[in-house]
Amino acid sequence: MDQKKIRNFCIIAHIDHGKSTLADRLLQFTNTGDVRKMKEQTLDTMDIERERGITIKSVAVQMNYTARDGETYSLHLIDTPGHVDFAYEVSRSLAACEGALLLVDAAQGVEAQTLANAYKAIEQNLEIIPVINKIDLPSADIESARVQIEDVIGLDSDMAVLTSAKAGIGTEDALEAIIKYVPPPSGNPDAPLRALIFDAVYDSYRGVVIYLRVVDGAIKKGQKIQLMSNGLKHDVTEVGVFHPEPEIKKELGAGEVGYMICSIKTLKDTQIGDTVTDALKPAEVALPGYEEIKPVVFCGLFPAVATDFNELRDALEKLQLNDCSFEYKADSSDALGLGFRLGFLGLLHMEIIQERLEREFDLTLVTTMPNVAYQVTMPDGEVIIVEKASQMPSAGDYELCEEPYIEADILVPTEYLSTVIDLCKKKRGIHVRVDYIDKRRCMAIYQMPLSEIVIDFYDILKSITRGYGSLEYRLIGYRPGNLAKLDILLNGESVDALSVITHRENAVAIGKLLASRLRKLIPRQQYEVAIQAALGGKIIVRETVKALRKNVTAKCYGGDITRKRKLLEKQKKGKKRMKQIGTVEVPQEAFMALLQLDDD
Amino acid sequence: MLGIYIHIPYCRTLCPYCDFVKVRTKTTVPEAFTDALCSEIDAYDGPVDAQSVFFGGGTPSLVPPAQLERILGALHNQFTFHDPEITLEANPDDVTDELVQAWKDLGINRISMGVQSFDERVLRYLGRRHDVGGAERACEIIARHFDSWNLDLIFGAKPIGAWEATLQRAVEINPPHIAAYGLTYEPGTPFEKRMDDAVDPDTSLELYKELERILADYDHYEISNFAKPGRASRHNLVYWNNGEYAGFGTGAYSYLDGVRARNHSSLEHYLEVPGEKEEALTLTRAEEKVETMIQYMRLHEGIPRADYETRFGCAIEADYGVALDALVARGLVECTSTHIRPTSEGFYLNNEIGLELLSAVLPE
Repeated sequence: MDQKKIRNFCIIAHIDHGKSTLADRLLQFTNTGDVRKMKEQTLDTMDIERERGITIKSVAVQMNYTARDGETYSLHLIDTPGHVDFAYEVSRSLAACEGALLLVDAAQGVEAQTLANAYKAIEQNLEIIPVINKIDLPSADIESARVQIEDVIGLDSDMAVLTSAKAGIGTEDALEAIIKYVPPPSGNPDAPLRALIFDAVYDSYRGVVIYLRVVDGAIKKGQKIQLMSNGLKHDVTEVGVFHPEPEIKKELGAGEVGYMICSIKTLKDTQIGDTVTDALKPAEVALPGYEEIKPVVFCGLFPAVATDFNELRDALEKLQLNDCSFEYKADSSDALGLGFRLGFLGLLHMEIIQERLEREFDLTLVTTMPNVAYQVTMPDGEVIIVEKASQMPSAGDYELCEEPYIEADILVPTEYLSTVIDLCKKKRGIHVRVDYIDKRRCMAIYQMPLSEIVIDFYDILKSITRGYGSLEYRLIGYRPGNLAKLDILLNGESVDALSVITHRENAVAIGKLLASRLRKLIPRQQYEVAIQAALGGKIIVRETVKALRKNVTAKCYGGDITRKRKLLEKQKKGKKRMKQIGTVEVPQEAFMALLQLDDD
Repeated sequence: MLGIYIHIPYCRTLCPYCDFVKVRTKTTVPEAFTDALCSEIDAYDGPVDAQSVFFGGGTPSLVPPAQLERILGALHNQFTFHDPEITLEANPDDVTDELVQAWKDLGINRISMGVQSFDERVLRYLGRRHDVGGAERACEIIARHFDSWNLDLIFGAKPIGAWEATLQRAVEINPPHIAAYGLTYEPGTPFEKRMDDAVDPDTSLELYKELERILADYDHYEISNFAKPGRASRHNLVYWNNGEYAGFGTGAYSYLDGVRARNHSSLEHYLEVPGEKEEALTLTRAEEKVETMIQYMRLHEGIPRADYETRFGCAIEADYGVALDALVARGLVECTSTHIRPTSEGFYLNNEIGLELLSAVLPE
């Protein structure tokens, strides 16, 4: 295929600005895919993606479009995730494109993520086409969106395409803009093969399916290829493109985006960002890769029923075939028994993995409070990484404890700025600056400990700004912190799975909050339960769950027997979801008590 | 031997806390219902030896004596009665000397009076149609005619402070049997919206202990039931012994040959196809065993070991050893050489016993 007729692009947008809907329209307009199979959000294949309206995995789709100039072009859309946790996926997808549609909601305007992703695209030299979407909404303010595109992002708003993906307005204009503005690929078709791996998925029938972008040369079935990172050689068994159903092709030429199947068995053997070359005629220099992504949020995951441990291990193994962005290793807890310690890219990522485990593998799990990884320097100079509170050495036994910091861009309407500043202060934020986007909105830039973000920052931000606040952040390194381990005791016994690492200044407040939430979460049982929070062995808070003194069904005659059985079965189910710790039955939610948002 | 339950789903006024099957009637129970009921009884083909009949509702005191006679006639055609206890639930407002005499003449030998309280405020809170004067007058009539009768009371209704005086009044009236129930706010009833009025378990326990203290002269033979010697309800003991019963009428339950089945609870449906089942559950042997235990554990005397062995062919410990150890350790159950019985704590936390037993035998 002539590279001049190829356009590779992605759509970048803030969550809910209509990315998946626009993608649906582009597919429909170009008659791509089976119309009868068409559902909403065609490219979001997982149930969780559809339910939550988010895209988690990247997808590449090839469309044929006959433009107004009479020529037929091959367009490759690389769909990207929209949430801050999956920012790494965005960079990967961007590297496979020459251009991007930057979607701006005509009613909402530019959001923090729109900006962050736009900057990433600019850094990668992508041609960016602004698309002002949802223009048919009564609250649409096209002019103001144009001003923001010019002033905030620094793009020429004259090239902006006006669309309503929902109503199908402007779809053709968007396609024409892609042909006109996105440059065709410019690799060398005669050079040795160089293709960039930008994603990989595991298919239980076909093994690992690698998504790649051919830069130079071509790749075809039967070819012997080599992975440039590890030198391993494989035979290509199939290449093709997605519509979004796979279509087998003889070859993928320079500039094309598609998939490759070779003899790779597991995702672990596939490195995203790697370069594929010809084993017999290898390229000299690999394509620029990506930074390896490290998990930043950790939590413990335990089977609710100890005998389910093996099932959980199998489930994690299987899930990792699909998603290698989370880490896991065996872990044990005095309170919860055998389980695993998992590392995630962010809180949403954590929720999604948990939900998939429970849903796709029918497991009942106990999850412990998420925390970040701390770097602790011991007196002998050794640096240990603390991934859970119980690993934290006692105060005085270590020299220095450092915690990860992030820089956050928080975009809010100006009337909420002071509330947001208060929130950031409360979360140990260090003020960097405030930029005014336009008359209505500004961007507060704060440096903050990541630990303050992972708990509930995003939810609080959303609630205090009535949903208008948006957040984007990046890690900026480790900084010393005055940190301490807060222990939680139930009836005098310290429960390792409930302890947390907290800033010393906040310890009493966190202790009170945890104890009071536990008091509400732990049901009354036959004997009184004492809940205590202790700092360095000293009790700082105490709460009591009073004994349950009456639990009886008053009437039990003929028909009531059925009813009583149902009641008892329900109570039994409730008990089954609880963990027995000493003499105390603790519900699973208790291990996530700090994450529960309520009005205390 | 069987207990026979007859459900009469008609009331003059609907009490807002009640979740039994019932409809309003301005007059009495219509003849058409009695026709349906009798045809259902006529079609019965189960075991026939019976020891009790219980007319529940609804308001069975709204059934005209002539219709009661037809129903009892139908029952006598089908069943062989052995010194039967025949109970009829009555609303105090319906009780007159004349009607009571008619009931006696029909062979009814036990009355259960839905008094609920001797406090006007509580009666109004509960939405009852009678007042205190009416209740006292009715009790006086019943006491003159019957050796065996029950007084129903409810605790936990507002104002809760009225409970002690109601109990004192009940003791003065001195009925041979008292049933006292904690008020519950059931889903689907008007009271569901008043859930906030519900007393907490601690207060409920205080009221319950007041009940035990003031009725000390009675035999507290079941969680909610108190009787003078020889006056325990033979019909209700069938349920607590997990025995067999045949139910007739709208929404009535039967438990025959290991199957617990329920009649249709829609009156229209019942009148059209009397006796058609709405649900039927065949219990496994394990379910039957555990339900037997759970039901017996409502009784002060608990379960006689011999009864369990005769019925199931094995010792109780063989089935519930670990659970019984746990229950004994928790102070909820006592094991004697002849019985397994709940302690007084085991009455207050009776569902905990059920849970432990259920988890032991039916883990899934």
